[in-house]
Amino acid sequence: MSVRRLAKIQPESFAFSEETRATADWWISKYPEGRLASAVIPILWLAQKQEGWVSEPAIRAVAELLGMPVIRVFEVATFYTMFMLEPVGTKALIQVCGTTPCRLRGAGDIMEVCKTKIGLKDHLSADGNFTWQEVECLGACANAPMAQINDYYFEDLTADSMAQIIDDFAAGKTPKPGSYAGRHSSEPEGGPLTLTDPALYDGSLAKPVILPNQPAPEPVEGGAA
Amino acid sequence: MFIKRIFTWWNGATFGALLTIAQRGRYVGEDDFGSKYYEAKTIRDGDAGRRRRWVIYKGYAEPSKVPAEWHGWLHHTFVEPPTVAPLKVRAFETEHLPNLTGTRFAWRPRGSLTRGGHRPAATGDYEAWKPE
Amino acid sequence: MPIAKVNGVEIEFEPGMTVLQVAELAGEEIPRFCYHERLSIAGNCRMCLVEVKPGPPKPQASCALPAADKQEIFTNTPMVKKAREGVMEFLLINHPLDCPICDQGGECDLQDEAMGYGRDDSRYVENKRAVEEKFMGPLIKTTMTRCIQCTRCVRFATEIAGVSDLGLIGRGEDAEITTYLEQAVASELSGNLADICPVGALTHKPWAFNYRPWELKKTESVDVMDALGSAIRVDARGPEVMRILPRVNEAINEEWLADKSRYAVDGLMRQRLDRPYVRVGGKLVEATWAQAFAAVAGKIKATAPDRIGVIAGDLSAAEEMKAALDLFTALGVKSIDCRQDGSALHPKWGRESYLFNSTIQGIEDADAIMLIGTNPRIEAPLVNARIRKRWIRGDVLVGVVGEQADLTFPYTYLGAGVDSLKRFVDHGPIQKEKPIFILGAGAFARPDGAAILAMAAEAAGSMGLVKDGWNGFNVLHTAASRVGGLDMGFVPAEGGKTALQMVEKGGADVLFLLGADEIDLGQTDAFVIYMGSHGDAGAHRADVVLPGAAYTEKPGLYVNTEGRTQMAERAIFPKGEAKEDWTILRALSDELGARLPYDTIEQLRDKLITDHPTFGQIDYAPGHASAAAFDLMAVGEKGETTDAPFVSPVKDFYLTNPIARASRTMAECSSLHAGASKMAAE
Repeated sequence: MSVRRLAKIQPESFAFSEETRATADWWISKYPEGRLASAVIPILWLAQKQEGWVSEPAIRAVAELLGMPVIRVFEVATFYTMFMLEPVGTKALIQVCGTTPCRLRGAGDIMEVCKTKIGLKDHLSADGNFTWQEVECLGACANAPMAQINDYYFEDLTADSMAQIIDDFAAGKTPKPGSYAGRHSSEPEGGPLTLTDPALYDGSLAKPVILPNQPAPEPVEGGAA
Repeated sequence: MFIKRIFTWWNGATFGALLTIAQRGRYVGEDDFGSKYYEAKTIRDGDAGRRRRWVIYKGYAEPSKVPAEWHGWLHHTFVEPPTVAPLKVRAFETEHLPNLTGTRFAWRPRGSLTRGGHRPAATGDYEAWKPE
Repeated sequence: MPIAKVNGVEIEFEPGMTVLQVAELAGEEIPRFCYHERLSIAGNCRMCLVEVKPGPPKPQASCALPAADKQEIFTNTPMVKKAREGVMEFLLINHPLDCPICDQGGECDLQDEAMGYGRDDSRYVENKRAVEEKFMGPLIKTTMTRCIQCTRCVRFATEIAGVSDLGLIGRGEDAEITTYLEQAVASELSGNLADICPVGALTHKPWAFNYRPWELKKTESVDVMDALGSAIRVDARGPEVMRILPRVNEAINEEWLADKSRYAVDGLMRQRLDRPYVRVGGKLVEATWAQAFAAVAGKIKATAPDRIGVIAGDLSAAEEMKAALDLFTALGVKSIDCRQDGSALHPKWGRESYLFNSTIQGIEDADAIMLIGTNPRIEAPLVNARIRKRWIRGDVLVGVVGEQADLTFPYTYLGAGVDSLKRFVDHGPIQKEKPIFILGAGAFARPDGAAILAMAAEAAGSMGLVKDGWNGFNVLHTAASRVGGLDMGFVPAEGGKTALQMVEKGGADVLFLLGADEIDLGQTDAFVIYMGSHGDAGAHRADVVLPGAAYTEKPGLYVNTEGRTQMAERAIFPKGEAKEDWTILRALSDELGARLPYDTIEQLRDKLITDHPTFGQIDYAPGHASAAAFDLMAVGEKGETTDAPFVSPVKDFYLTNPIARASRTMAECSSLHAGASKMAAE
C-alpha cells in the first residue's frame, strides 16, 4: 500500500441516484438522531457502488448528507483501501489475493495473466474496462489462489481460468463466481471425507430434551399480555 | 634567491621535486597564475594505479592558487587537463582568487573596524512612521 | 479516596484519574507526546508506558489507563525504561535528523525525551519516510516529515477551537495530518496548534527561522489585544520582540492564546512613532521634545478648559490614564472620556454594571448563557473557547441576541435586536441555577446604549441572574484599557462631553488623544495632540505627535473585563526618542504649570491605588463578591430605543488596533479571511 491521494482529475459534481438515496436513508434510519456519522462507511460504500469509485465531490456529498465535517469523511475514505480513490475498470475490478497461502498456490501466475491481459497493477487498463490490484488475505485460503472480482470471489484459479474469466468480462458476459475446480465451497476436492452420514448432523440421533430457556410459543394477537 | 631555493619549500618547488618531475614528468600546461602542471609518464608502485600529477608554483607555493579546473585535474577528478577539455565557465562564476586570509586583501565584513567600523542597522531595528 | 502506590510511595487520588495523572500527582514525570491534559486521550504515541501491578506483565500506556485502588505503579523500572527506549526508537525511525534547521529545536518534546530515552545511534538503514508539506494558512508552517502522528493538533482543532478542519488521513506509515484539500485553518486560535505540536511539524510561519528559543529574553506580561488580559510571555532579542507565547492562567486563557495576541508582534516593529512631530504650515515636521511640549503647552494654555477634550484609547495602561486624568482635571478640563466607541457604560451605576461578574472561569459553572450583542469568537476568542468548553460538557442553554454568526457551537437564535431583548424583561425567574448574560459592545456602544443596558439589567433581574453567590450579569469589553478607565473615573465630569461629542465639528478646540485611533476624527476641527506608539488614524490627523511606548515597552497595570487588575512588565525599551507615556504627561505637567505629584511609577501607582483601591488588588477578580449590593434596577437609563439590530463592533478580528494594523501577518490573515468569507457568501 502506498500513500492514498484523491485522483488528479475529478468529476464536476456528484449526486446520489434515487435508488442509492433510498438505500442510504435506510442505513441512516438505523442510527439515532445526532449519530448519523455512524453511517459514513455504508454511505461511502453506496457512493462507490454508484460511481465505481469515490470522488472528491462524492466525499463532500456524503459529508453533507450526514452533517459531518468533510475532513472526517475524507479520513475514512483514505483509511480504508476498499474505497477506490481513482476511477476503476468499468467491467471489472480484479483484486488478486497475494498473501502467503494464495502465493504458494500460484497467485504469482494469476497476477502475470492480469499483467499481460490488463496492464500494470493499480492502473486503469488502456480501454478503461479493467483494473487489477494485489490485495492482502481475503480469507478464502482453503480455496487458494483466489481473486475478488467486483462483488464475488473467484476461487481455485489457474492461469487459464483467470485468462478465460477476463476474456468473458471483456466480452460482456458474467462469469460464474465460486470455485473453478468444481468444488461447492471449501470441502476437500473430490467430495467430503467426514460427516458422510447425514444422521450425524441432522439431529435424528439426539436425545429429545426440553431446554430450560426454550422460548415460549408466540403469544396470539390480542391475547392476554 | 638561490639559497632560498635550496633551504625553503615555499618558494617554487624544492630541488627534489624539480628533479623527480624532470625525470618522470611530462609537461601538461600552465594556468593563469603561471604555475606549471606535469603528469608522470609511467605508473609506479605506490602511485595508486594512476599517473602522478604535479604542480610547480610560480613564486610563492600556495595551494589555493590552483584554479578550479586545474585543481580537479590535479586530484584526478577530471581525466583530461583543461588544456584539452576546458571547463565550461558559467555566467555566475567569478575569477579564481587564492586564499587571501592573512593578507591585506582579506575579506572584512561590513561594520568591521578595519573597514571604517560603520555598522549597518541591526536586523531587529524598527520601521519608523513618517508623516506623508 | 482510593490510594495507589507510585514507586512504593502511597498517594491518594480522585476516582477517575488515569495512571499518568496519579504518577504526576506523586511527582513522577511521565514522558508523553500525544497526551495533553486539556485534550481528549488518544493513547497513540505509547511513550507514557509504565509498569502496573496487578496487571499483565507488560508495560501499559499510563495516559489511557484508569488508576485503581491499591494499584502499584512503577515508572522507573528497567522494563519501563527499555519499553520507552523501544518506543522512542520507533518514533525516530522516520523522524528526520534536522534539529539544527528546525524551529522547534531547543524546545522540542521529542528532542528532550530523546535525551532520556534515545539511542546514540540508529539500527535503521532503510530510507526515512518523507511527507509532502501541507498548506495550513499564513500562520502555521508545516514540515510534515517531522510529524509523529500524535494527533494533538487534530484534537485541538476539533475540541477546543471547534473547527473540524484538521484530520489524519491514510493509515500506518502513510498517515498524514492535513486540512481538507489544504485549506487554511479557519480558527482564531490556530497559533496554539504550533504550541501543542510536540515536534517541529507545525511551527509558527511568521516567525520561521527567526530565533532560537535560548537566545530570547523572556518577560512575563499581559496581553492587550482584547479585554481579557491573557497571560503572555514576551520573548525579545535585543530591541525586537520576536514572539509572544501564552502563559498558563487558568482564570483567563488556560494555556491558549488568540492569533492576534500572538502574531501581531511584527506590528511592534512597523509604523512606529519614534520622535515628536509638530504640524507646521499644514505638514508634520520632526521636532524635539522641547518644541513639541512648547506647542502643546502653548495651545492648551491658550484654550479655555471647557474647550479641551481628552480621549483614552484601547491599549492605554492605567498609569498614563491616571496621569492624564490628574493633569487635565487639575487644569479644569471636564471633557474626559475613555469610551471612544461611544459606549454607555458608566461607573456611576456601580462597578458590577461594567464587569464580567461571573468571571471567565465562571462560564464553566453556568448552565444558561445568553449572548447579547456580541460575537465572542471575534471579540474575545478565548471566552468563546470557554463557552464551547462548557457546551461540550452538555446540559447548557446557549442563546444569542444579535448577529447570527458561526460561534463553533450551536445555539438558539433569539433575535437580532432590542425587540428580542425586550421579551426577556418580564420573563420571570429562569429554572436554572447559574444563568449568565454576556453583554457585548454591540448592545451598549450605540446611541441608545444606556436604555439597552437598563433593559438588559431589568431582564437579568427578572430572570434571577444575580443572587447570593452568583452574579450572572456580564459585560464583555473589547478594549484592554476600558475597565481600568471606568474604574478610575476616566469619564466626563458634570457638564463634560463624551468622546463622540468631542470629535464632532466644533466639539472641542484641543483634543488630547492617548492612543485613541478607533474614533472617527474626520469631522473635528480641533487642534489634535496624539500620544501613542503607532502612526495610525490618530497620528495622521494630529497637529502634535508625542511618541509613546507600546505595551511591551512599558510597565503597566491593565484591568481586564472581569475587573482583574494585572501587571504587565517591560520587555524592551521604547523606540527612538519615545518615552513611557506617563513620563510624557509628567513632563508636560511641568510645562503647563500643574506639576503631577509623582516622579516614579511607584509613586504614581501609590496615588492610583490610594484613589482607587481596586487597582491594588493584583490578580483578583471580584466575581460575585458584591452580588448582594448590586442593584440591577439602577443600571442604565430607561429611554427610547431604536430597533436597529445589534452589530459587533469588531468588523475584522485581525485589525482591531494600531499594532495589529501595522502588522503584515495580520494584514495577510485579514485578506485571506475576507477572501474566504467572500467565497462562502457567493
